Amino acid sequence: MSIYAVNYLCREILRDHAFRAAMAKDPAQALAGKDISELERQALLAGDVGMLFRMGANPFLMAYMARFEVCGLNAEIYNQRMRAERIDEFGLPLVVSDDPA
Amino acid sequence: MAQIVAGFGVPHTPIFPFLVKRDGPNCETAKLFAAQADRLAAVRPDVIVMFDTDHLNTFFLDSLPIFAIGVDKSFAGPNDEPREVPLYNVRSAPDLAVHIRRLGIESGFDIALSEHFSVDHSIIVPLHFLTPNMHVPVIPIFISGHVPPLPSAQRCYELGRTVGRAIASWNPASRVAVMGSGSFSLEVGGPRMMPGRDYGVPDPDWAARVVSCLSDQKIEALIAQSTQGQLLRAGNVGGELLNWIAMLGAIGGRAPEYIAPQLQNGHAYGVWRW
Repeated sequence: MSIYAVNYLCREILRDHAFRAAMAKDPAQALAGKDISELERQALLAGDVGMLFRMGANPFLMAYMARFEVCGLNAEIYNQRMRAERIDEFGLPLVVSDDPA
Repeated sequence: MAQIVAGFGVPHTPIFPFLVKRDGPNCETAKLFAAQADRLAAVRPDVIVMFDTDHLNTFFLDSLPIFAIGVDKSFAGPNDEPREVPLYNVRSAPDLAVHIRRLGIESGFDIALSEHFSVDHSIIVPLHFLTPNMHVPVIPIFISGHVPPLPSAQRCYELGRTVGRAIASWNPASRVAVMGSGSFSLEVGGPRMMPGRDYGVPDPDWAARVVSCLSDQKIEALIAQSTQGQLLRAGNVGGELLNWIAMLGAIGGRAPEYIAPQLQNGHAYGVWRW
């Protein structure tokens, strides 16, 4: 369940201003050593919030990546990527991505 | 004895302080909050008890209570940096909070305890408009309305009734206003955002039905319709309606003075006085 770590570090972008600055400057370096899977690391670095959503990441928390413009995201790109996701009537991912890790 | 003197339903949209500062006191949101602030001042509250849903800022996924109460002399917020909102220190009323928690647990509500905490925009934004001097102590009661499974609407209404009984059995004479904070239909940061916006209103018909039930005092019908499925269909923060339902339980069967909808945002402003 390392998606917990993804959610946690998304909130750290809000809480920890040094981490926020590090993510803005060099996200690969900032994420080095974090307890996340390779798939999660790749999705984070690509700003692939759709994939992270399918893996169980929380939209409030991922939105901090757009708000503070890290990993190539901004409000517009985040909006487009999230809106492209297929969801059920309850707003939950229609397709769930299992992380082999 | 303490008495509940009013109920309020409030939105907490984090961008509102910025928009009101930009657009001035005659914009719709400024006027809607000002009308509530006038009525709150008129009932001269000694304490505000606020039902609220935290956005994973006070609590997190490492420990997420269904119900919790803040018990401290004061608390700080907002802890999530909404624009144009200063960092406030809000006085609280720990003795009454302890009493509410004790009576809640005796009544079957296992309310978690937080003795040192900060709060996010969902508490501070309404206070920023309603009590900007932060002169009225505030007791937050947290309801988990964002991360399913959600507590049932009936359970939240009963929690509110229990909190109402606890306040009524509190010995120091004090005047208590009860608030419920949140939206009826809203998606924040999720796939149901509107194009080019950071939010969406996935189920405006539901928001209108909620307003209608509140206006017509059809609370049983509101509770019956507020299933988890409906709340989730209404958006990823649709469960914030549970805070309004708990507030209604606390104040008892009262008619609203007014419900002012702002349906483009999926929420409303409500006042109950008697």
